[in-house]
Amino acid sequence: MINPLLVGFGATIGAFLRNELTLQQAKLKIDFPIVTLFINIFGAILLGIFTAQIHNGAILLLLGTGFCGGFTTFGTFNMELSQLWFQHRLGRCFLYFVLTYIFGILGFIVGIHI
Amino acid sequence: MRKRAEVFLFLFIGAFIGSNLRYLESLIFKPSNGFPLGTLVANLSGALVLPFLIHYLQDRFNLSSRVILTLSTGVLGSYTTFSTFTADTYRLFNTGQWLLLFIYLTLTIVGGFALAILGNYWAATQAFNDYAKKSREERS
Repeated sequence: MINPLLVGFGATIGAFLRNELTLQQAKLKIDFPIVTLFINIFGAILLGIFTAQIHNGAILLLLGTGFCGGFTTFGTFNMELSQLWFQHRLGRCFLYFVLTYIFGILGFIVGIHI
Repeated sequence: MRKRAEVFLFLFIGAFIGSNLRYLESLIFKPSNGFPLGTLVANLSGALVLPFLIHYLQDRFNLSSRVILTLSTGVLGSYTTFSTFTADTYRLFNTGQWLLLFIYLTLTIVGGFALAILGNYWAATQAFNDYAKKSREERS
């Protein structure tokens, strides 16, 4: 019965950090969703590290399924992609798409092997 | 919304619900061949609903910034996940399940984008239907 608590607490910290970082996007004055890109790549690296280093199921639920799952986001990523699409900024849309998937997957592999 | 403690409380509620919905789906949708169906279901449904929430439900029900923070950043942000997707991809690659890897990548990458586009159209269609209904009622 403790598993939902571990997942929920981990995700809360992850979501709070994600929100704090996303709030910085407006201040950056960069016309590209670089904050979500960073969150998703960094979260994938972290999950790789946790997966390789942590062998306790409960702690992995807290930090992996909970924290990394709550920190990274697939919904916002695709929402931002669709916004770029509807704004006809197709170059940025494609770049965001490619950078997220390539460096996200590479990030996890790097994390596993650190 | 300035107070961090308040933001934390709303995200606590939202993230608790969202992450556990995803966790529940990963326990329910668990095919014996190891296909990450739970993550896929969570990510695709979340990708569809988020634009609908932001572009339709927010206006339709006059949702406050607190409710939107809880539902979008909290629930849907934690319900969907990118890191688990990369972990699933690596696992299928490592175990040499090429067909499952191909299906998973295609459905996630193409499906996520297509459903987010569809969510925008769904929101626009719904808003238009509401408007048309309202005009009809005003005329009659």
